[in-house]
Order: sequence, then C-alpha cells, then structure tokens
Amino acid sequence: MKRGVGLGKVKVVVHGLGFIALNHHLPSLKRMDDVEVSGVVSRNIEHAKKVARDYGARPYSSLEEAIEKEKPDIVVICTETFRHKGDALTSIEHGVNIFLEKPITLRLKDADDIINTAKKKGVKLMVGHVLRFWPEYVATKDMVDKGEIGNPVVARAYRYVSFPPWSFKRWHKDLEKSGGVFVDLSIHDVDFLRWVLGEVEEVFARGATVYEDTTAPVYMHALLKFKNGAIAYVDGSWLIPPTHPFYTYLEIAGTRGLLVVDNLTTAGLRVYLKDEVRCWTPVPRDGYYLELRSFINSVKKDLEPAITGEEARKSLEVTLAALKSFKENRPVKLPLEEEVI
Amino acid sequence: MGKLKFAILSFAHIHAWSYASVLKDLEKENEVEFVAVYDDDPERLKKAAEAYGVKQYSDYIRLLEVEKPDAVIVTSENAKHISQVLVACEKGIHVLCEKPIATTLKDADEMIRAVEKSGVKFQTAFVMRYHEVTVETKRIIDEGSIGEIVAITSTNHGKYPGLWFGDPDLAGGGAIMDHTVHNADLMRWYTKDEAKEVYAIYKKNIRDYLKVEDNALITIRFKKGVVASIDCSWSRPDSWPIWGDVYLGIFGTEGYIVVDAFRSFIILAPDKGAMTSRYFGTNPDYEMIKDFIRVIKEDDTPRATVYDGRQALEIALAAYKSLEKKAPVELPL
Repeated sequence: MKRGVGLGKVKVVVHGLGFIALNHHLPSLKRMDDVEVSGVVSRNIEHAKKVARDYGARPYSSLEEAIEKEKPDIVVICTETFRHKGDALTSIEHGVNIFLEKPITLRLKDADDIINTAKKKGVKLMVGHVLRFWPEYVATKDMVDKGEIGNPVVARAYRYVSFPPWSFKRWHKDLEKSGGVFVDLSIHDVDFLRWVLGEVEEVFARGATVYEDTTAPVYMHALLKFKNGAIAYVDGSWLIPPTHPFYTYLEIAGTRGLLVVDNLTTAGLRVYLKDEVRCWTPVPRDGYYLELRSFINSVKKDLEPAITGEEARKSLEVTLAALKSFKENRPVKLPLEEEVI
Repeated sequence: MGKLKFAILSFAHIHAWSYASVLKDLEKENEVEFVAVYDDDPERLKKAAEAYGVKQYSDYIRLLEVEKPDAVIVTSENAKHISQVLVACEKGIHVLCEKPIATTLKDADEMIRAVEKSGVKFQTAFVMRYHEVTVETKRIIDEGSIGEIVAITSTNHGKYPGLWFGDPDLAGGGAIMDHTVHNADLMRWYTKDEAKEVYAIYKKNIRDYLKVEDNALITIRFKKGVVASIDCSWSRPDSWPIWGDVYLGIFGTEGYIVVDAFRSFIILAPDKGAMTSRYFGTNPDYEMIKDFIRVIKEDDTPRATVYDGRQALEIALAAYKSLEKKAPVELPL
C-alpha cells in the first residue's frame, strides 16, 4: 500500500530489456535526478548483467526476486504483450506501482484483472499510450479542443514500421502473442483518436497475414464510427521495407478547417545511414520521457495517473473489435461481448 | 486517315476546359480539327465558343448532324452522359466520356450495348491511366519489383467542386460518385482483378448546407484477396493551396510504392491572402486525348474502355448500397 513516496529518490525496476526499454525508457529514467534505476530484469541474465552495468543497477532474471530485493516504488514493464498480465499482477500483488507498456493485455478479462487488482491493492497503474505526450499529437489535440477546425468530421491516421526481423521472428508474427499489427501498433492511433474524438461505436476492418508462418495480420486498416458523429480511417503496416523510415500521418477535417501532420515532412532532423533512415523532431523532453515523468509525479504526489487502465482497456477493445471484424468480415459494435484472442 | 474532327458536348464538367485546350494544342500539331461546342447553358456555350473560336450549338443532335464530327468529348453533367452517348453511337461517332460514365448501372449497361452495336471507339476519361506517375507505377508492378500486391490505401481528396456536383439528380451523388472511380479504376488496373466486396461509412457532412455527402470512407476486397481503401472526401477547404490529391500506398510482399500524383507543385505565398500553387508534373489530359486519337486511327482498343467505366461505377454504387444496408456489399450488384 504505497501512497506518495516522499522526499527520497523514486526506486524503479525495469522489467523486459528489449527495444523500448533500451532505446527509450532506460535513457529517459537516467536523466531524472529524483529517480534511481535500482534493478533491471531479463529472462536472459547475461543480457540483464550487461544492461545493469550500463545503468548502475542490479541484474535479475526474475521479476519477483527483483521486487523482493529492491523493494521498488515502480516497476516499468516492457515485456512482450502476452506476458503483461502475469508481470503486472506479480508487481501489483507486491504492492508496487506499475508503468505498463501498451497494449495493456490481449484480452479484456486480463485487463480487468489488472485494473481491479491494482485498485484493490491501492497501487497506481499507467499504460504507455505515448502519443498523449508526443509533441505533434499534443498540439493536434490542443488545436481540436480549441475549436480551430470546428467540429471534427473525418480523420485519417497511418502508422508504418518495417519490422526488425529478429523481433518479428520471436513473437510479433504470432497472433496469440502480439495481437497483430492493429492491436500492437495501430492501438496508438486508436487511443489518440479516442482521446480527441471520444468513444468508438462501430468498427470495420480488413487486413492480411501475408506470410505462411504468420498468424497475426501484418497489414490492417479499419473504418471507425465515433459516437460524436465523426468517422476515421486507421491504417497500420509492418510491410514497409527497411529502406523506408518509420512513418506516421494524421489529418482531421472539421467543419471549419483541416489539419495535417506527418512525421516525415515535419521532421526537424533526417539521418541517412547505410541501412536505415531516421526522421524525427528531437525535443529536450520527448513523449517517452514525459509519460514516465508524468507517472512518477503521480506516484510521488499520489495523483491519478494521466492514462488509466480503463482508458487503455477501451483502446484495446477497439483494436480487438477491428481484429474481430477482420476475422468475421462484418462491422462490429462496441462494447465487445466476448474475447477475440 | 487525316485530321479528326472533334466537338465537345457540354462544358458542365470543369475538365472540359482543359480538354478543349488540349484540342487546340493538337490542332497546331495537325492532329485534329476542333469544330464545335454544344451546351445547354447559353452563357457557358457562348463563353466556350468564343474562348476556342469554334461554332456553337444549343442542340447536340443538330451539332452531330451538321458538323459530322469523327469524335466527341462528352463532359456534360454525369446523369446527362447517356443521352448524348447514345446519339453519338447511333451516328457512328467515337466517344471520349467523362467519369463516372453514368449514374446508374442500367445506363452504363445501355451504353455498353450501344457501343458494341455501333462499333465506335468509346474511351472512358480515366485520365489517371495516363499520368506519368501512375503509368510508371503500372510498369514497376508488372515487372514484379514489389512482389505480389497485398494492400492499397488510397485517397482522392478534393475541395467541394460547387456547380451541379452538389445536385444529386445531375451528379448521381456527392463525393463518393465524384471521387471513387479514379482510384477504383487504378486498383483494377494494377491488380488486374475485380472488386468482390465493398463496405463504406459516412456519418455527417463537413459542409452542412450540402444535399449530398461530402466525405466517406470506403474499403474494398478484390477477388484474389487484395484489400484496398478509398477516402473520397471533399475534405480540402477552399484555402488549401492545391485542388486535392490522388494518393496510393501500395504494399507488396517485396516492396512499397507511394503514388502521390499531384504532389509536384510549387507553393506560392502571396503577400496577403491564401497560398496557391503551381503544378509542374505531367499533364495527363494531353496524353489521354492523344491516345484516344491513336486508338481511332489504328483501330485499337482504348486503355480504359466503356466496360472499365462501368466496373469503377459499380464500386461507387456498391459504396452507396453499403451505406444504406450498413453492411458489406457483394459484387456484382
């Protein structure tokens, strides 16, 4: 039962040392004066040892052991989606606040378990729907909220990333483990659109699995109807070749205007390497930094986290509805009555 | 065969002005003789006749009988195509017809029968089959560089065109009727396949004073499995510096193509007021009309036939039917 942390440093354990932890969460935490990354956990202890050396933390191969020894205030969970439920419940049962990567889980019941157990145990939970802290998306939300485009009517959002083969081979191509491109990737845009436009009432989606050994859709688009009368098109792809940089696009047309933003034409920086092109707009505090900062503040000051488990569950539900529509080839109304994965 | 005699039937569709300019250019190249224009709007008729220095007719049947053109360009309001096309076919006159070729499948099928019976060349003005960007895309796809096509995401955004485009009786609908067929045709051309199922959503207008829909989102499944989408919305405000776009993201098993056919423009920011732009890409109207002339002279099959016009129309009509049924609609209708 942790309520407010007081004046000392916030102790954090990072669990799951893959792409997002190594490239974003650990470097962000390192920059915070009031945070101590005391433990890092990976099932591969050699990997944990290497990362631990870089961050002056202690390595663990078991989350439970890390929690028992470190007694952290917060666990940052960046494991594969299918492990979220177990990892989250382990942390919650030990009374530790959790920052959980998106998607919250792959099943609504699992999300409910996490949310309800966290409430019961009085621990804070926030899910990493990072667009709510991402500069162009924050600005977009502000413009829409201020009425600069009038009432939103029709929106489009794309999110394309070429998949690192190592990760794809491990778990993303398995529907039961990742949920596929819409649940894993497009959930960002779904969550953002929900943040701006409100709740979704109906979803229709099409997609493709493409590869013989793949059960997860690697391409999917969905048509969303919102309760407020807006509609949206959301497009997610893991099918672009590695020569293409990570790409996001967003436009919202309203009764008084149109706003358009994409990460390539607005990039402040473009870097061309031999096998990779990166385009982005560096800011002193990026979305990954800000979302963790926000959560840490809510733990320190005993405030409600900016992105609750309930919010994350609703975004998950929309992406699962898309998956259901893809499977059954019909429009799917929300709320969902049963699990999809 | 010498110079072909051309007439333009109606300047209701804004593309007529561009086609007329192309005919004037081709006159200089000794390819055609642009002889006359018809329009049922006296003011527009006078304006067009004076602009191009050609004879004017307020009766198209009389124009066809007196001028005996070899070919006509039909650029009347969508719902009026049928009567002009049928008379032209009857008189053995070749037709280049603006898209959508009709507003109903019944009309489109009647046009197909008339074309087949008369043996005239009928080309649907699917100008996007003549844009250098889309033509090059066709070549890249056909040579197999991106493997098999998996998905196509597309937009044909525009401003609200005004005029009769907001009149459901003349246009046959709104943004769906106006802005679905070009992309649907490109998808058919690239996949060499037909649409099997269409689903569409629409809830409310951007411009609440319009009688027709000004936005919609459409998704299509093709017979061999390609999934595709079209955003046909007139979602560009009047202040937008370009007219709109024809954009396709084509995901293949081995590669990815981005077609942004009208992206090639220079922005001009005046000292006051809205920004405008100058397009510097290819003019597909010229290539399309030139190829129509070649098809007539060489007795060839048009790149986009009356049947192609019908098939693209069917996809737009299926989108309307899907809105009505709130469910996916199987093709053929």
